[in-house]
Amino acid sequence: MLFTGVLLGLLYVVFALVLFQVLNVGLIPMLLIVVGLAVFQYFTSDKLALLASGAKVVDESQAPELHAMVERLAAMADIPKPRVAVVPTDVPNAFATGRNPKNAVVAVTDGLWRRLDKEEVEAVLGHELTHVVNRDVLVMTLASFFAMLAGLMMRFGFYGGIFGGGRRNDQGGIPIWLIIVAVSIVTYFISYLLIRAISRYREYAADRGSALLTGAPENLMSALQKISSQMTLIPQRDLREVAGMNAFFIVPARAKEVASELLADHPPLEKRLARLAEIAREMGKPVAP
Amino acid sequence: MGRVTDVLFGRKRLKGAARERLFALSTAQVTLDVEMGLKPAGVGAVCFKPLSAGEFVRAENDLQELLDATATQSHSKVERKSDDLGYEWLVVRDSSFEDLVATVHMIGSEMEDRGFGPQLLAAIFKFTGGKNPVYFIYGYKTGTFWPFVPEGEKERDNSEELELKAKLEKELPIEPDLTRWLALYGAPL
Repeated sequence: MLFTGVLLGLLYVVFALVLFQVLNVGLIPMLLIVVGLAVFQYFTSDKLALLASGAKVVDESQAPELHAMVERLAAMADIPKPRVAVVPTDVPNAFATGRNPKNAVVAVTDGLWRRLDKEEVEAVLGHELTHVVNRDVLVMTLASFFAMLAGLMMRFGFYGGIFGGGRRNDQGGIPIWLIIVAVSIVTYFISYLLIRAISRYREYAADRGSALLTGAPENLMSALQKISSQMTLIPQRDLREVAGMNAFFIVPARAKEVASELLADHPPLEKRLARLAEIAREMGKPVAP
Repeated sequence: MGRVTDVLFGRKRLKGAARERLFALSTAQVTLDVEMGLKPAGVGAVCFKPLSAGEFVRAENDLQELLDATATQSHSKVERKSDDLGYEWLVVRDSSFEDLVATVHMIGSEMEDRGFGPQLLAAIFKFTGGKNPVYFIYGYKTGTFWPFVPEGEKERDNSEELELKAKLEKELPIEPDLTRWLALYGAPL
Protein backbone atom coordinates (compact mmCIF):
# COMPACT_ATOMS: atom_id res chain seq x y z
CA MET A 1 0.00 0.00 0.00
CA LEU A 2 2.73 2.42 1.04
CA PHE A 3 4.93 1.47 -1.86
CA THR A 4 2.15 1.49 -4.44
CA GLY A 5 0.88 4.75 -3.01
CA VAL A 6 4.25 6.42 -3.35
CA LEU A 7 4.69 5.05 -6.85
CA LEU A 8 1.25 6.20 -7.91
CA GLY A 9 1.95 9.64 -6.54
CA LEU A 10 5.30 9.89 -8.28
CA LEU A 11 3.62 8.81 -11.47
CA TYR A 12 1.11 11.58 -10.99
CA VAL A 13 3.83 14.18 -10.44
CA VAL A 14 5.71 13.07 -13.53
CA PHE A 15 2.49 13.08 -15.50
CA ALA A 16 1.65 16.63 -14.40
CA LEU A 17 5.17 17.80 -15.18
CA VAL A 18 5.09 16.31 -18.64
CA LEU A 19 1.78 17.98 -19.32
CA PHE A 20 3.06 21.28 -18.02
CA GLN A 21 6.52 21.30 -19.55
CA VAL A 22 6.18 19.42 -22.79
CA LEU A 23 2.66 20.19 -23.84
CA ASN A 24 2.88 23.75 -22.50
CA VAL A 25 -0.46 23.42 -20.80
CA GLY A 26 -1.37 26.47 -18.73
CA LEU A 27 -2.50 26.66 -15.11
CA ILE A 28 -6.23 26.48 -15.82
CA PRO A 29 -6.25 23.31 -17.99
CA MET A 30 -3.89 21.79 -15.48
CA LEU A 31 -6.29 22.51 -12.61
CA LEU A 32 -9.13 21.09 -14.68
CA ILE A 33 -7.22 17.85 -15.15
CA VAL A 34 -6.42 17.57 -11.43
CA VAL A 35 -10.03 18.27 -10.47
CA GLY A 36 -11.14 15.85 -13.18
CA LEU A 37 -8.97 13.09 -11.75
CA ALA A 38 -10.24 13.72 -8.24
CA VAL A 39 -13.84 13.62 -9.44
CA PHE A 40 -13.16 10.43 -11.39
CA GLN A 41 -11.62 8.85 -8.31
CA TYR A 42 -14.55 9.94 -6.18
CA PHE A 43 -17.21 8.60 -8.52
CA THR A 44 -15.54 5.31 -9.38
CA SER A 45 -14.11 4.49 -5.94
CA ASP A 46 -16.51 1.59 -5.37
CA LYS A 47 -15.93 -0.02 -8.74
CA LEU A 48 -12.18 0.50 -8.61
CA ALA A 49 -11.87 -1.03 -5.15
CA LEU A 50 -14.01 -4.02 -6.07
CA LEU A 51 -12.05 -4.55 -9.26
CA ALA A 52 -8.67 -4.22 -7.58
CA SER A 53 -9.49 -6.66 -4.79
CA GLY A 54 -11.30 -9.20 -6.92
CA ALA A 55 -14.37 -8.90 -4.70
CA LYS A 56 -17.66 -10.29 -5.93
CA VAL A 57 -20.95 -8.71 -4.91
CA VAL A 58 -23.14 -11.41 -3.38
CA ASP A 59 -26.91 -11.41 -2.99
CA GLU A 60 -28.93 -12.57 -0.02
CA SER A 61 -29.25 -16.17 -1.15
CA GLN A 62 -25.48 -16.52 -1.51
CA ALA A 63 -24.57 -15.15 1.92
CA PRO A 64 -27.72 -14.94 4.06
CA GLU A 65 -25.95 -14.63 7.42
CA LEU A 66 -23.60 -11.91 6.22
CA HIS A 67 -26.50 -9.99 4.66
CA ALA A 68 -28.56 -10.21 7.85
CA MET A 69 -25.62 -8.86 9.84
CA VAL A 70 -25.00 -5.94 7.49
CA GLU A 71 -28.72 -5.13 7.40
CA ARG A 72 -28.94 -5.02 11.18
CA LEU A 73 -25.86 -2.81 11.54
CA ALA A 74 -26.92 -0.47 8.73
CA ALA A 75 -30.29 0.00 10.44
CA MET A 76 -28.52 0.83 13.69
CA ALA A 77 -26.20 3.26 11.94
CA ASP A 78 -29.18 4.77 10.14
CA ILE A 79 -27.84 4.37 6.61
CA PRO A 80 -29.30 2.47 3.65
CA LYS A 81 -28.10 -1.11 3.52
CA PRO A 82 -24.91 -1.18 1.45
CA ARG A 83 -24.14 -3.83 -1.13
CA VAL A 84 -22.24 -6.82 0.24
CA ALA A 85 -19.21 -8.38 -1.43
CA VAL A 86 -16.92 -11.31 -0.72
CA VAL A 87 -13.22 -11.47 -1.61
CA PRO A 88 -12.01 -15.02 -2.31
CA THR A 89 -8.79 -14.94 -0.30
CA ASP A 90 -7.54 -16.62 2.83
CA VAL A 91 -6.12 -13.46 4.42
CA PRO A 92 -8.70 -12.12 6.86
CA ASN A 93 -9.65 -8.58 5.95
CA ALA A 94 -12.53 -6.27 5.13
CA PHE A 95 -13.07 -2.93 3.47
CA ALA A 96 -15.79 -0.45 2.70
CA THR A 97 -15.97 1.87 -0.27
CA GLY A 98 -18.39 4.07 -2.18
CA ARG A 99 -18.69 7.82 -2.38
CA ASN A 100 -21.79 8.07 -0.18
CA PRO A 101 -23.92 5.74 1.92
CA LYS A 102 -26.24 5.15 -1.05
CA ASN A 103 -23.45 3.79 -3.22
CA ALA A 104 -21.54 1.99 -0.51
CA VAL A 105 -20.19 -1.54 -0.65
CA VAL A 106 -18.78 -3.53 2.25
CA ALA A 107 -16.54 -6.46 1.45
CA VAL A 108 -15.17 -9.21 3.66
CA THR A 109 -12.69 -11.91 2.70
CA ASP A 110 -13.37 -15.63 2.94
CA GLY A 111 -10.58 -15.81 5.50
CA LEU A 112 -12.28 -13.25 7.75
CA TRP A 113 -15.58 -15.11 7.65
CA ARG A 114 -13.94 -18.44 8.38
CA ARG A 115 -11.40 -17.48 11.03
CA LEU A 116 -13.42 -15.05 13.14
CA ASP A 117 -16.40 -15.69 15.40
CA LYS A 118 -19.69 -14.17 14.30
CA GLU A 119 -19.56 -11.42 16.95
CA GLU A 120 -16.08 -10.51 15.75
CA VAL A 121 -17.19 -10.32 12.11
CA GLU A 122 -20.00 -8.07 13.27
CA ALA A 123 -17.50 -5.79 15.03
CA VAL A 124 -15.36 -5.59 11.86
CA LEU A 125 -18.48 -4.80 9.80
CA GLY A 126 -19.33 -2.10 12.35
CA HIS A 127 -15.92 -0.58 11.74
CA GLU A 128 -16.42 -0.63 7.98
CA LEU A 129 -19.96 0.78 8.17
CA THR A 130 -18.63 3.64 10.31
CA HIS A 131 -16.26 4.45 7.43
CA VAL A 132 -19.38 4.70 5.26
CA VAL A 133 -21.24 6.83 7.81
CA ASN A 134 -18.22 9.12 8.23
CA ARG A 135 -17.92 9.47 4.45
CA ASP A 136 -14.29 8.53 4.55
CA VAL A 137 -14.01 8.09 0.80
CA LEU A 138 -15.03 11.72 0.43
CA VAL A 139 -12.64 12.81 3.18
CA MET A 140 -9.71 10.93 1.71
CA THR A 141 -10.44 12.11 -1.82
CA LEU A 142 -10.57 15.68 -0.57
CA ALA A 143 -7.40 15.18 1.46
CA SER A 144 -5.47 13.85 -1.49
CA PHE A 145 -7.01 16.48 -3.75
CA PHE A 146 -5.68 19.28 -1.59
CA ALA A 147 -2.34 17.56 -1.39
CA MET A 148 -2.23 17.39 -5.17
CA LEU A 149 -3.33 20.99 -5.43
CA ALA A 150 -0.74 22.14 -2.88
CA GLY A 151 2.03 20.46 -4.79
CA LEU A 152 0.81 21.99 -8.01
CA MET A 153 0.51 25.53 -6.65
CA MET A 154 3.95 25.30 -5.17
CA ARG A 155 5.38 24.31 -8.50
CA PHE A 156 3.63 27.15 -10.29
CA GLY A 157 4.54 29.66 -7.58
CA PHE A 158 8.13 28.57 -7.72
CA TYR A 159 8.29 28.79 -11.45
CA GLY A 160 6.47 32.11 -11.70
CA GLY A 161 8.15 33.83 -8.72
CA ILE A 162 11.80 33.07 -9.13
CA PHE A 163 12.08 32.85 -12.87
CA GLY A 164 9.60 35.58 -13.63
CA GLY A 165 7.43 33.32 -15.72
CA GLY A 166 10.14 33.05 -18.33
CA ARG A 167 10.30 29.88 -20.34
CA ARG A 168 14.02 29.87 -20.96
CA ASN A 169 15.32 26.50 -19.96
CA ASP A 170 19.03 27.10 -20.59
CA GLN A 171 20.11 29.79 -18.14
CA GLY A 172 23.09 27.82 -16.91
CA GLY A 173 23.35 26.39 -13.38
CA ILE A 174 20.86 23.82 -12.27
CA PRO A 175 18.21 23.23 -14.91
CA ILE A 176 14.78 24.53 -13.97
CA TRP A 177 13.05 21.24 -14.59
CA LEU A 178 15.33 19.56 -12.06
CA ILE A 179 14.40 22.07 -9.36
CA ILE A 180 10.73 21.64 -10.21
CA VAL A 181 11.01 17.88 -9.94
CA ALA A 182 12.84 18.11 -6.61
CA VAL A 183 10.30 20.50 -5.09
CA SER A 184 7.39 18.45 -6.41
CA ILE A 185 8.74 15.29 -4.90
CA VAL A 186 9.37 16.88 -1.50
CA THR A 187 5.91 18.43 -1.52
CA TYR A 188 4.44 15.15 -2.50
CA PHE A 189 6.14 13.21 0.30
CA ILE A 190 5.05 15.70 2.94
CA SER A 191 1.45 15.60 1.78
CA TYR A 192 1.62 11.83 1.66
CA LEU A 193 2.62 11.74 5.32
CA LEU A 194 -0.24 14.11 6.14
CA ILE A 195 -2.73 11.93 4.28
CA ARG A 196 -1.54 8.92 6.19
CA ALA A 197 -2.01 10.80 9.46
CA ILE A 198 -5.58 11.64 8.45
CA SER A 199 -6.14 8.03 7.48
CA ARG A 200 -4.97 6.81 10.88
CA TYR A 201 -7.28 9.28 12.60
CA ARG A 202 -10.22 7.99 10.55
CA GLU A 203 -9.33 4.46 11.59
CA TYR A 204 -9.55 5.37 15.27
CA ALA A 205 -12.88 7.04 14.56
CA ALA A 206 -14.14 3.89 12.82
CA ASP A 207 -13.01 1.76 15.77
CA ARG A 208 -14.97 3.98 18.10
CA GLY A 209 -17.99 3.83 15.78
CA SER A 210 -17.89 0.05 15.77
CA ALA A 211 -17.72 -0.02 19.56
CA LEU A 212 -20.78 2.22 19.78
CA LEU A 213 -22.73 0.35 17.07
CA THR A 214 -22.20 -3.11 18.50
CA GLY A 215 -21.99 -1.98 22.11
CA ALA A 216 -19.14 -4.44 22.53
CA PRO A 217 -15.63 -3.01 21.99
CA GLU A 218 -14.16 -6.29 23.24
CA ASN A 219 -15.36 -8.03 20.07
CA LEU A 220 -13.45 -5.62 17.86
CA MET A 221 -10.44 -6.01 20.12
CA SER A 222 -10.37 -9.78 19.74
CA ALA A 223 -11.10 -9.46 16.01
CA LEU A 224 -8.15 -7.10 15.54
CA GLN A 225 -5.90 -9.42 17.49
CA LYS A 226 -6.95 -12.38 15.38
CA ILE A 227 -6.57 -10.50 12.10
CA SER A 228 -3.06 -9.34 12.90
CA SER A 229 -1.89 -12.49 14.64
CA GLN A 230 0.66 -14.85 13.16
CA MET A 231 -2.10 -17.36 12.60
CA THR A 232 -3.23 -15.61 9.48
CA LEU A 233 0.09 -16.53 7.91
CA ILE A 234 -0.40 -20.27 8.36
CA PRO A 235 -1.82 -21.55 5.10
CA GLN A 236 -4.89 -23.76 4.78
CA ARG A 237 -3.56 -25.29 1.60
CA ASP A 238 -2.16 -28.76 1.33
CA LEU A 239 1.53 -29.31 0.76
CA ARG A 240 0.80 -31.83 -1.99
CA GLU A 241 -1.40 -29.47 -3.97
CA VAL A 242 1.18 -26.71 -3.81
CA ALA A 243 4.08 -29.02 -4.62
CA GLY A 244 2.05 -30.46 -7.48
CA MET A 245 1.61 -27.02 -8.95
CA ASN A 246 5.33 -26.51 -8.71
CA ALA A 247 4.74 -23.23 -6.94
CA PHE A 248 6.12 -24.06 -3.53
CA PHE A 249 7.80 -20.73 -3.02
CA ILE A 250 5.59 -18.40 -5.01
CA VAL A 251 2.29 -18.80 -3.22
CA PRO A 252 3.49 -18.14 0.34
CA ALA A 253 5.50 -15.08 -0.65
CA ARG A 254 2.43 -13.55 -2.18
CA ALA A 255 0.29 -14.20 0.86
CA LYS A 256 2.83 -12.36 3.00
CA GLU A 257 2.97 -9.40 0.68
CA VAL A 258 -0.79 -9.01 0.69
CA ALA A 259 -0.93 -9.14 4.47
CA SER A 260 1.62 -6.39 4.99
CA GLU A 261 0.05 -4.30 2.26
CA LEU A 262 -3.38 -4.38 3.82
CA LEU A 263 -2.10 -3.44 7.26
CA ALA A 264 0.06 -0.52 6.17
CA ASP A 265 -2.28 2.46 6.44
CA HIS A 266 -3.57 1.67 9.90
CA PRO A 267 -2.43 2.73 13.34
CA PRO A 268 -0.40 0.20 15.33
CA LEU A 269 -2.47 -2.56 16.89
CA GLU A 270 -1.45 -1.79 20.49
CA LYS A 271 -2.69 1.79 20.22
CA ARG A 272 -5.99 0.73 18.70
CA LEU A 273 -6.46 -1.84 21.44
CA ALA A 274 -5.58 0.71 24.13
CA ARG A 275 -8.17 3.16 22.79
CA LEU A 276 -10.80 0.47 22.52
CA ALA A 277 -10.10 -0.57 26.09
CA GLU A 278 -10.64 3.05 27.10
CA ILE A 279 -13.97 3.12 25.28
CA ALA A 280 -14.90 -0.13 26.99
CA ARG A 281 -14.18 1.43 30.36
CA GLU A 282 -16.29 4.47 29.45
CA MET A 283 -19.10 2.09 28.59
CA GLY A 284 -18.65 0.43 31.96
CA LYS A 285 -17.31 -2.82 30.58
CA PRO A 286 -14.36 -4.35 32.35
CA VAL A 287 -11.67 -5.32 29.86
CA ALA A 288 -8.25 -6.73 30.58
CA PRO A 289 -5.61 -4.03 29.97
CA MET B 1 31.34 -15.00 8.68
CA GLY B 2 31.79 -17.99 6.43
CA ARG B 3 28.13 -17.75 5.56
CA VAL B 4 28.36 -14.09 4.66
CA THR B 5 31.28 -14.59 2.32
CA ASP B 6 29.53 -17.56 0.77
CA VAL B 7 26.55 -15.36 0.01
CA LEU B 8 28.78 -12.54 -1.25
CA PHE B 9 30.64 -14.80 -3.60
CA GLY B 10 27.56 -16.75 -4.61
CA ARG B 11 28.85 -19.96 -3.10
CA LYS B 12 25.91 -20.57 -0.82
CA ARG B 13 25.55 -24.33 -0.71
CA LEU B 14 22.27 -26.18 -0.93
CA LYS B 15 21.05 -27.77 2.25
CA GLY B 16 22.41 -31.16 1.34
CA ALA B 17 22.59 -32.68 4.79
CA ALA B 18 19.17 -31.40 5.76
CA ARG B 19 17.83 -34.87 6.36
CA GLU B 20 20.20 -35.30 9.33
CA ARG B 21 18.03 -32.81 11.16
CA LEU B 22 15.31 -35.42 11.40
CA PHE B 23 17.01 -36.82 14.50
CA ALA B 24 16.29 -33.61 16.40
CA LEU B 25 12.75 -34.91 16.79
CA SER B 26 13.99 -37.81 18.93
CA THR B 27 15.08 -35.40 21.67
CA ALA B 28 12.19 -32.99 21.19
CA GLN B 29 9.83 -35.87 21.85
CA VAL B 30 10.71 -35.70 25.57
CA THR B 31 9.62 -32.06 25.75
CA LEU B 32 6.43 -32.88 23.88
CA ASP B 33 5.63 -35.50 26.48
CA VAL B 34 6.57 -33.48 29.57
CA GLU B 35 5.15 -30.10 28.56
CA MET B 36 2.19 -30.97 26.36
CA GLY B 37 1.39 -34.54 27.38
CA LEU B 38 1.81 -35.70 23.81
CA LYS B 39 3.02 -39.24 23.19
CA PRO B 40 4.33 -40.71 19.93
CA ALA B 41 1.64 -42.74 18.22
CA GLY B 42 4.31 -45.19 17.02
CA VAL B 43 3.76 -44.27 13.40
CA GLY B 44 5.49 -42.06 10.89
CA ALA B 45 5.68 -41.85 7.12
CA VAL B 46 7.58 -40.61 4.14
CA CYS B 47 5.53 -38.93 1.44
CA PHE B 48 6.90 -38.74 -2.07
CA LYS B 49 5.84 -37.74 -5.53
CA PRO B 50 4.72 -40.49 -7.86
CA LEU B 51 7.33 -41.46 -10.41
CA SER B 52 7.05 -40.83 -14.08
CA ALA B 53 6.07 -43.75 -16.29
CA GLY B 54 9.53 -43.99 -17.89
CA GLU B 55 11.38 -44.82 -14.73
CA PHE B 56 8.51 -46.74 -13.25
CA VAL B 57 9.88 -50.27 -13.58
CA ARG B 58 13.29 -49.41 -12.21
CA ALA B 59 11.69 -47.40 -9.47
CA GLU B 60 9.37 -50.24 -8.53
CA ASN B 61 12.31 -52.61 -8.21
CA ASP B 62 14.29 -50.11 -6.22
CA LEU B 63 11.42 -49.44 -3.88
CA GLN B 64 10.90 -53.14 -3.27
CA GLU B 65 14.60 -53.53 -2.57
CA LEU B 66 14.39 -50.61 -0.20
CA LEU B 67 11.47 -52.14 1.67
CA ASP B 68 13.29 -55.45 1.95
CA ALA B 69 16.42 -53.72 3.22
CA THR B 70 14.40 -51.85 5.80
CA ALA B 71 12.81 -55.07 6.96
CA THR B 72 16.18 -56.74 7.55
CA GLN B 73 17.89 -53.71 9.10
CA SER B 74 15.22 -52.64 11.55
CA HIS B 75 12.27 -54.00 13.43
CA SER B 76 9.92 -51.39 11.99
CA LYS B 77 6.99 -52.46 9.85
CA VAL B 78 6.72 -50.62 6.57
CA GLU B 79 3.74 -50.54 4.25
CA ARG B 80 3.12 -48.71 1.05
CA LYS B 81 0.03 -46.58 0.50
CA SER B 82 -1.18 -44.04 -2.01
CA ASP B 83 -3.57 -41.16 -1.45
CA ASP B 84 -6.30 -39.31 -3.31
CA LEU B 85 -3.89 -36.65 -4.49
CA GLY B 86 -1.77 -39.25 -6.23
CA TYR B 87 1.12 -39.25 -3.77
CA GLU B 88 2.86 -42.36 -2.47
CA TRP B 89 3.43 -43.01 1.21
CA LEU B 90 5.74 -45.39 3.04
CA VAL B 91 4.10 -45.76 6.43
CA VAL B 92 6.45 -46.90 9.18
CA ARG B 93 5.30 -48.45 12.46
CA ASP B 94 7.57 -48.92 15.45
CA SER B 95 6.82 -48.78 19.14
CA SER B 96 10.25 -47.29 19.86
CA PHE B 97 10.25 -43.66 18.79
CA GLU B 98 14.00 -43.57 18.24
CA ASP B 99 13.83 -46.57 15.93
CA LEU B 100 10.90 -45.01 14.12
CA VAL B 101 12.85 -41.82 13.42
CA ALA B 102 15.89 -43.87 12.41
CA THR B 103 13.88 -45.96 9.95
CA VAL B 104 12.19 -42.91 8.43
CA HIS B 105 15.61 -41.32 8.13
CA MET B 106 16.99 -44.46 6.50
CA ILE B 107 14.21 -44.55 3.94
CA GLY B 108 14.94 -40.93 3.09
CA SER B 109 18.67 -41.55 2.66
CA GLU B 110 18.14 -44.72 0.64
CA MET B 111 15.75 -42.94 -1.71
CA GLU B 112 18.21 -40.12 -2.09
CA ASP B 113 21.06 -42.54 -2.80
CA ARG B 114 18.98 -44.16 -5.52
CA GLY B 115 18.38 -40.81 -7.14
CA PHE B 116 14.87 -40.18 -5.89
CA GLY B 117 15.89 -37.22 -3.71
CA PRO B 118 13.87 -34.69 -5.69
CA GLN B 119 10.73 -36.85 -5.35
CA LEU B 120 10.85 -36.63 -1.55
CA LEU B 121 8.20 -34.28 -0.26
CA ALA B 122 7.88 -34.68 3.49
CA ALA B 123 8.24 -36.96 6.46
CA ILE B 124 5.48 -36.93 9.02
CA PHE B 125 5.20 -38.17 12.60
CA LYS B 126 2.05 -38.60 14.61
CA PHE B 127 1.53 -37.80 18.29
CA THR B 128 -1.55 -38.36 20.42
CA GLY B 129 -2.75 -37.33 23.84
CA GLY B 130 -4.23 -33.92 23.05
CA LYS B 131 -7.69 -32.93 21.87
CA ASN B 132 -6.70 -33.65 18.27
CA PRO B 133 -3.87 -35.75 16.90
CA VAL B 134 -0.71 -33.69 16.46
CA TYR B 135 1.57 -34.17 13.48
CA PHE B 136 5.07 -32.96 12.92
CA ILE B 137 5.85 -32.50 9.27
CA TYR B 138 9.43 -32.46 8.09
CA GLY B 139 9.91 -30.77 4.73
CA TYR B 140 12.77 -32.32 2.77
CA LYS B 141 12.97 -29.19 0.63
CA THR B 142 13.34 -26.79 3.54
CA GLY B 143 15.04 -29.09 6.06
CA THR B 144 12.70 -27.82 8.76
CA PHE B 145 9.81 -29.09 10.85
CA TRP B 146 6.42 -27.57 11.35
CA PRO B 147 3.45 -28.66 13.45
CA PHE B 148 0.15 -29.62 11.90
CA VAL B 149 -2.97 -30.09 14.02
CA PRO B 150 -5.92 -30.90 11.78
CA GLU B 151 -9.35 -30.20 13.20
CA GLY B 152 -12.01 -31.98 11.24
CA GLU B 153 -11.62 -32.31 7.52
CA LYS B 154 -10.13 -29.10 6.20
CA GLU B 155 -9.50 -26.99 9.29
CA ARG B 156 -6.48 -26.75 11.50
CA ASP B 157 -5.96 -25.60 15.07
CA ASN B 158 -3.59 -22.67 14.53
CA SER B 159 -3.31 -21.68 18.18
CA GLU B 160 -2.23 -25.18 19.18
CA GLU B 161 0.30 -25.15 16.33
CA LEU B 162 1.75 -21.84 17.49
CA GLU B 163 1.95 -23.12 21.04
CA LEU B 164 3.90 -26.15 19.82
CA LYS B 165 6.23 -23.82 17.98
CA ALA B 166 6.83 -21.74 21.10
CA LYS B 167 7.54 -24.82 23.19
CA LEU B 168 9.86 -26.57 20.75
CA GLU B 169 11.60 -23.78 18.89
CA LYS B 170 14.75 -24.14 21.01
CA GLU B 171 15.45 -27.78 20.31
CA LEU B 172 13.81 -28.42 16.96
CA PRO B 173 14.53 -26.59 13.68
CA ILE B 174 11.01 -25.18 13.25
CA GLU B 175 10.27 -23.52 9.92
CA PRO B 176 10.38 -19.77 10.72
CA ASP B 177 8.28 -18.73 7.72
CA LEU B 178 4.73 -19.53 8.80
CA THR B 179 3.47 -19.23 5.25
CA ARG B 180 5.31 -22.46 4.49
CA TRP B 181 3.50 -24.47 7.12
CA LEU B 182 1.49 -26.28 4.50
CA ALA B 183 -1.03 -28.88 5.55
CA LEU B 184 -1.18 -32.61 4.85
CA TYR B 185 -4.86 -33.36 5.27
CA GLY B 186 -5.89 -36.99 5.41
CA ALA B 187 -2.38 -38.42 5.75
CA PRO B 188 -2.76 -42.23 5.77
CA LEU B 189 -1.37 -42.82 9.27
